[in-house]
Amino acid sequence: MLNEEDLSGNIVKRARDTNMRILIVDDSRAMRMIVRRTLRQAGFDGCAEVEAANGREALDQVQAVAPDLILSDWNMPEMNGLELLRELKRRGSSATFGFVTSESSPDMQVAALQEGALFFITKPFTADKFQSTLEPLLRS
Amino acid sequence: MPTELSLEILPNALSQIVDSVFGTMLNLEAGASEAPWFLSGDHLTAAVHLMGDWNGALLLECDREQACRFAGRFLSTDPPSTVDDDVRDVLGELANMIGGNLKCVLTPGIRLSLPSVVDGGHYSVRFCGAQVCARVPFQCDDGPFWITVLGVGDGSNENSV
Repeated sequence: MLNEEDLSGNIVKRARDTNMRILIVDDSRAMRMIVRRTLRQAGFDGCAEVEAANGREALDQVQAVAPDLILSDWNMPEMNGLELLRELKRRGSSATFGFVTSESSPDMQVAALQEGALFFITKPFTADKFQSTLEPLLRS
Repeated sequence: MPTELSLEILPNALSQIVDSVFGTMLNLEAGASEAPWFLSGDHLTAAVHLMGDWNGALLLECDREQACRFAGRFLSTDPPSTVDDDVRDVLGELANMIGGNLKCVLTPGIRLSLPSVVDGGHYSVRFCGAQVCARVPFQCDDGPFWITVLGVGDGSNENSV
């Protein structure tokens, strides 16, 4: 398990310097808290984090804060993660989008990537998984 | 066409998935045990439905104190003194993670519902047309809990659990 002491200072510094805004979309408040904590453990502690409980709330947050990165659950009431992704693409959003979800079947991962998601983190997850998945996004 | 479920692999697959979910999210080792099933007293049931090429449900059940301890571990806080929205939320998420991983070992083409949680005493949960495919008791440092997988057959084997 990764902890904050294990992290490269460069990664943390890059996250702080970029003032990255991250939108966490999940209908579970507990899971949003865990994603926030895992982001900090993975070196994204300098980022501004905002939350939404479903796809519709996420669209409002995208308009309000223009996040750089969106971490979205798949199954949510009102508007699910795939519908959110499609709507964001329709609106021309340039935010980097990925799923953090229990939906881990290959067919759904393929569908997500075909719609424009850049990564797929399966629950349960670790800080190591967040770091290895998200670090390349900081580099780019 | 619904898929025939391989019942032989189910307990082993469940054990591996539960161990992974509890180890990663709760820092708890959880293994299959011989704990007897309890039917009475206050407890919680978190359920997710599996729909598509195979239809059924997965239930995670434990007593109220156990659920509070799980929530405390999940959120890295002291366990809540009573069952609240956070406790129900955490139990639902645990069932969701177990169900999401389980559907991958069953068959492609299964969708997962949002989790639901029942909290109370002396209740039974009824799924029309469903029968118990597997009920596995687990033991961890925080106590016992139970995972049940229900499958919907031809409608002739309705059970309450």
